[in-house]
Amino acid sequence: MQIADIDLRRYSNQFSSYTELRLHENRQLVVTLLNGDVVSNVKDTSSGVSARVFDKGAWGFSSTPDFSNNAIEGAIAAATKNAAFLASRTGDDAAVLPRASANRDSDFSTKKPHLTQEGKVAFMQRIDDYIVRTCPDIVSRQVNLSCLDMEKKLQTSEGSHGHNVNTRSIVSVKLTTRDDKGEPVELSDAHGARGQFEDVFTSTAELEQKIDKLYQQLMDKKRAVKPVSGYHTVILAADLAGILAHEAIGHTTEGDIVRAGSVAGDYIGKQVASDLVTLIDFANTYAGETLPVPVYLDDEGVESTDAVLIENGILKSFMHNKDSAQYFGMPLTGNARAFGYDDEPLVRMRNTAILSGKDKFEDMIASIEDGYLLMRPTNGQADSTSEFMFGVQMGYEIKDGKLGRAITDTTISGIAFDMLKEVSMLSDEMSWSCAGMCGKKQPMPVGMGGPAVKTKVFIGGQ
Amino acid sequence: MSGQKIGERALAEQSLAEQSLASIKRAGFEKAACRVSADELHELQAETGAINLFRTNFETDIRLIGIDEGRRASLSINKTDEAALGAAVNDLKTMAAGANPDPAYDIAEGQPREDFAAGIESPDYDAMYDRVVEFQKYAHSAYPQLNIRSAAITFSKRRTCYLNSNEVAFTSRRGQYQVSVTFSSKEGADTSSMMYTGYSSYDLETPVQDATNVDTLLRQSTEQVRTRHIPGKFVGDLIIAPNCLMSFLGFLTARIGDAMISGTSIYEGKLGEMVASPPLSVHAMPVSDDIASGYWVTGDGYKAENSTIVEKGRLMTYLLSLYGANRMGLARAVNAGGCYVVDPGEQDYKSMIENVSEGILITRFSGGRPNDRGDFSGVAKNSYYIKDGELAYPIKETTISGNLALLLQSIEGISRERLNFGSSILPWVRATGITVS
Repeated sequence: MQIADIDLRRYSNQFSSYTELRLHENRQLVVTLLNGDVVSNVKDTSSGVSARVFDKGAWGFSSTPDFSNNAIEGAIAAATKNAAFLASRTGDDAAVLPRASANRDSDFSTKKPHLTQEGKVAFMQRIDDYIVRTCPDIVSRQVNLSCLDMEKKLQTSEGSHGHNVNTRSIVSVKLTTRDDKGEPVELSDAHGARGQFEDVFTSTAELEQKIDKLYQQLMDKKRAVKPVSGYHTVILAADLAGILAHEAIGHTTEGDIVRAGSVAGDYIGKQVASDLVTLIDFANTYAGETLPVPVYLDDEGVESTDAVLIENGILKSFMHNKDSAQYFGMPLTGNARAFGYDDEPLVRMRNTAILSGKDKFEDMIASIEDGYLLMRPTNGQADSTSEFMFGVQMGYEIKDGKLGRAITDTTISGIAFDMLKEVSMLSDEMSWSCAGMCGKKQPMPVGMGGPAVKTKVFIGGQ
Repeated sequence: MSGQKIGERALAEQSLAEQSLASIKRAGFEKAACRVSADELHELQAETGAINLFRTNFETDIRLIGIDEGRRASLSINKTDEAALGAAVNDLKTMAAGANPDPAYDIAEGQPREDFAAGIESPDYDAMYDRVVEFQKYAHSAYPQLNIRSAAITFSKRRTCYLNSNEVAFTSRRGQYQVSVTFSSKEGADTSSMMYTGYSSYDLETPVQDATNVDTLLRQSTEQVRTRHIPGKFVGDLIIAPNCLMSFLGFLTARIGDAMISGTSIYEGKLGEMVASPPLSVHAMPVSDDIASGYWVTGDGYKAENSTIVEKGRLMTYLLSLYGANRMGLARAVNAGGCYVVDPGEQDYKSMIENVSEGILITRFSGGRPNDRGDFSGVAKNSYYIKDGELAYPIKETTISGNLALLLQSIEGISRERLNFGSSILPWVRATGITVS
């Protein structure tokens, strides 16, 4: 039985209070080539049905991997019973949720014939061959393909329904060389987009260009110097601005995090950033283009809308699910998303970005007497204090307005709302990343974007 | 608890595993293996003051592995009907055909059949509910500034059957509680860093606030609403709390496994050599009675055994899988890592602090991924400045940096006290020569 074949509306008569019924399938493929050998060749499919019921302020949730009629009815009954169990002990008769009703379908599956596994591995081997041919000073290479299709069909007791298929395909490359002391020096890059393999990787040309750049930077990094620890004026390259938007600000302004005590709760309507800064969590579209993780209908049946978090430096709003929107008395934004069929929806970002400015990247570099250009993020973390941290695996000194020596791996950190006030230039380019996987109780694909940003951050090091 | 016979109780999973294995073999694979798991999860969760979620999930996972002329594929599905299984095996065949051959791929050789069980069969909802409510009340009463972002008690049960074409057959069943709490504190406009902790246990006899160091962390959170900068950059000692010790030991354990195949691990060729200072002994103990979140069978289909990874600073084993061992020409590890237990030291925690002239006590580390050399830096969260043997004050915006391989060699003290998180048993560790800025 396929999700498309199941009509969830027929179960509406079994909803005794506010209920979400969701069919959900995640299909993942991972192929890894290590020095040319296939060391991982894995496909996972996980699907099932979940029901979530709201009863006097309490949520009941139940899920099962079965799509049968009995299983779906059983999930609704179990979730209803679970909610009733809690309601009987903690129930609040006055508890309500904001109402929402919307119908949206979307499908980002390929319309082309599916490539065989052999074809995908052959593509990866062509990438690997290219590295062997063009990157002579490499001691280890890893090429990884990661594809995720996420299909959801939703029906709520308020009449929302939708069938949405989101897809993304990413190839990541890690190159390792050795420095003069024989110690490993590595650099990695991820390249991909919304869509299935057949649509995203139509040729190797774009990946080859990325590998050329990666290799050149790795050769620079081979002779890298350690950055000087402390506060510095920096240019965060466009590929870093996205993670800045996500980690430094985004998490701090998620409605559930604000409710739990995030400092952002005290700043609504206040100046939290330079007036150059506008930061938005886009639902699905920007400037007429569909974004990396387009969400039209969230997992609470709310039509997804853009959440303008910071506008011209003023903190304007938060991202919400129904619980947090009700608590704060703010409009719904459609940010409730669940990763697996057995997960409950949480407040999650979609496509979080700092909007571009008017400055030329070259002018931004030229404006710095002594600082750093930082690029290529690794992992990152946020905090309720708005203190952020993320890893940086590539960067250069800036001396007298010119790029200098490469620097070794480092981390940058700071208080987001302090750092944003120091933003003095934004480049006129926008760069979007599709490779983000946020980890807030559940994993979740996210899009991130932004321009190059001139600001001040703390650089770790000795 | 381990090794207890469970007989027919895993029959459903065994039957499905037998059907799956037969399908893989019929498809023509030379070597076949499968693992069928049936999971139950029952969770009560409180958020921002009230228990607001009761969840029951059921899941079945069928992992199929086939090797044909050295071409390996692995696939998992969670549907158990014949049509789904047939389609999955066909898919497995296609995947393997697309892979390139590697003679290092193999499955476990024959071993005597065993059935394992531990823990409890079913959840006690009343006890789960009462413990969450009790914890909420305690936290609210003892620490009014505290925001419990989330407090959850989960009962999870997994029944597993592993079979392969070399006549390996293992079944296992484990039921346990997992407790997790996430919190921060707020006083006026001052907010502490978020903190979290958790543990697993076969029972709920201990109130949440009395388990591991939960109560200490709650109290510290309320102190951390008012933090200060350290006086200035210095090189000093790091007292690593058990809550974040694996952030530092993990560099070693991650690089002595199959990651060595890439040829870039600094621990390659270091077997038998000193990789840490003599006070440090680390074990992987998946079949210890003291570990509630252990395992009995490795991913390769071998019966797991406890092992010593580092003994008095010396590297005693790598953590290679069967594939990794074949690729490297080295011995396979007797377990798949995890379940780490660090031997206690001779000092008590209090005297460890008293012996520090300048340093920090770190309870959470928010750091960038270390590079292959082990260079690291990151923010010391929920941490304290130590001066002249005393915890002086909670700190903010403080970065630590160094090299993880060197850090392990700089360990000078390990506490007598240890915390059992159910998945690991860890002490406080004192390392030296860390740059704090």
